[in-house]
Amino acid sequence: MNGFVAMFRKEITQMLRDRGTLLFALVIPVFELILFGVIDMNAKHIPTVVFDQSHTQESRRLLDQFENTSYMDVIAEVPSRAALERAIVSGRAPVAIEIPPDYARNLAAGRQADVLIMIDGSDQSVATQALAAANGVVLQQGLQDLLEKSGQRPRVEAHPVMMFNPDMRSANLLIPGLIAILLTFSGTILSAFAIVKERERGTLEQLMVTPVSPLAVVVGKLLPYLGLAYFQLILIVALMRFLFRVPINGSLTLLLVLSPIYLVSLLALGLLVSSRARTQMEAMQMAMGFMLPSVLLSGYVFPITSLPVSPHCRCRCRWSRTFSPPRTSSRLREGS
Amino acid sequence: MNGEIGVDVQGVTKDFGSVRALEDVTLQVPRGEIFGLLGPNGSGKSTLIRILCGLLVPTAGRATVDGLDVEREGEQVRQHIGYVSQAFSLYRDLTVDENLDFFSSIYRLQGADRKERIEWVINLAHLGPYRDRLAGVLSGGWRQRLALAAALMHRPRVLFLDEPTAGIDPVARRELWDLLFELAAGGVTMFVTTHYMDEAERCGTVAYLYMSRLIVSGRPQALKALPEVTPEGTRRVEAACEEGVAKLMTSARTLPYVHAATIFGTSLHLLIDANVSDQKVEQDLQAFGITDVKVSPIEPSLEDVFVRLTETRGREIEAARPQVVQV
Ligand SMILES: Nc1ncnc2c1ncn2[C@@H]1O[C@H](COP(=O)(O)OP(=O)(O)OP(=O)(O)O)[C@@H](O)[C@H]1O
Ligand SMILES: [Mg+2]
Repeated sequence: MNGFVAMFRKEITQMLRDRGTLLFALVIPVFELILFGVIDMNAKHIPTVVFDQSHTQESRRLLDQFENTSYMDVIAEVPSRAALERAIVSGRAPVAIEIPPDYARNLAAGRQADVLIMIDGSDQSVATQALAAANGVVLQQGLQDLLEKSGQRPRVEAHPVMMFNPDMRSANLLIPGLIAILLTFSGTILSAFAIVKERERGTLEQLMVTPVSPLAVVVGKLLPYLGLAYFQLILIVALMRFLFRVPINGSLTLLLVLSPIYLVSLLALGLLVSSRARTQMEAMQMAMGFMLPSVLLSGYVFPITSLPVSPHCRCRCRWSRTFSPPRTSSRLREGS
Repeated sequence: MNGEIGVDVQGVTKDFGSVRALEDVTLQVPRGEIFGLLGPNGSGKSTLIRILCGLLVPTAGRATVDGLDVEREGEQVRQHIGYVSQAFSLYRDLTVDENLDFFSSIYRLQGADRKERIEWVINLAHLGPYRDRLAGVLSGGWRQRLALAAALMHRPRVLFLDEPTAGIDPVARRELWDLLFELAAGGVTMFVTTHYMDEAERCGTVAYLYMSRLIVSGRPQALKALPEVTPEGTRRVEAACEEGVAKLMTSARTLPYVHAATIFGTSLHLLIDANVSDQKVEQDLQAFGITDVKVSPIEPSLEDVFVRLTETRGREIEAARPQVVQV
């Protein structure tokens, strides 16, 4: 390990002097964290237009219930079916409700009363949530009606408990996973750049004519980046806890003790990239080639069960998730 | 272990894929000598230096530096060599001091020894006023001195300098060469590539690479005396005039006894038949209307030597090479 101390000290001096690296490692992740932290994945208050031909107390009550879910806001009443369709096509409202003129009459006569609900299917998360909310409202309404008439009470009732995230806060789901992804990006790219930069500028060649040992070069260069990535982890975990109030129920110590293992594997990935890439541009592209699949297949973006591959293959694909978001997520969410 | 040979190259060939960068190169540099390697762009000079520094492995042949095999004993070779590459390759985002500090600690210098050595190279390279400057903002000449200073840090026994004076002003060049002489006097073997003939003249031995082959190697005086350079029955003269050297050349080339004419600054170097006198040449040139021309005998310069040798030996190499160059 001849030359390790020299490499290590030099690398730290360079790292602290390089605005780009510090910006990339510390400012951009914080920025992204804040961006993701304010996102609410639950599509609430979806603009809704209504064409109510019934104009009765019953139809009014149904619409109120739609609004009560807080998933939908009635933004306008329109006078025709054509106007409803226009509202959806123009993107003004993703949901449109039409209540036919015989709605109240049918209810009163004990016949089936129909309600048309049109949903803009081009935005999947909005569409599924609107659909679920609409189904719920209508089911509830129908059930209530039946029960009132028969004088009975429902005999089965579900008591769902949302573990780990009782309030269904998006931040509690998004941020722990995001931490792993931010670390994946900066860890891999920073370490790949650190070595490729030396090759690009010819300094690697200069090093190779000195008696410095190759191991000292690699370890001396990567150790400061391990420190930087670790600092980044602590910074964003602190932001998550204190700025976004994501509770840490698991063992923080264990998280802090185990995460360097993950960081080392990221730096090693960067090292692998730097062994092939000649320029920083190339390194960037190769690192992306590694990281995009690992993020996309991690379960953070798509549910793991929906991956169109065999279970065996699925296991191999989920390395990033197995080693990252769930580790962070469950460490943070689970009690003890 | 050979005590007197600083660098020994035996039949070294280097291929990069289908490109042959060096072909069967053999040369020796005595210890403590300044060896100058010349040759056109792309002739393989940097490649040879990189092989000797252990950065490239030769395709065939072997080389020793300071008695150590560059392939098998690379570890020890690296303890004793300094390398200044053609392109600046120190850390641009570190200051002069930080760069030198880094290299001194790579070479395991410690404590007072280290301080002393850093001061020594700073004084040698006159870097004193620039100690706190970032290497990246230094001008070309100062960068070069910094690279040299870093390469001297561990008092190497063999120093490889790849075009150390490219882009440096004449005064700095002279200073650098004075420094090289000083080091050589201290027993350091110096392996220098250059495109400057005046620098070649200062070398103990010069060699010329042409199309990956070594076409000549020897002391400058010996090369000038080569019979091929001034073939039997010819001699070299210089024709000097105040102005119109271009006209002088076109005129001279029409004379039947002139074999070659090359412009050197404001004068003309001619290779003429040995039996033609200076006066005769002078009169013939004056007949073209150039009245102030003076003709005097000269010995060939190194440039004459290399130009002449590329014409003779170089043509042979080109002829011998199979013409399958296709892109
Ligand atoms: N790493 C490489 N891969 C492929 N070809 C190379 C490599 N390095 C050098 N070459 C080729 O080898 C030949 C010799 O190059 P080299 O750099 O040794 O020339 P040089 O004499 O130093 O030229 P210059 O005076 O321009 O510095 C060139 O044709 C070059 O293109
Ligand atoms: Mg070169």
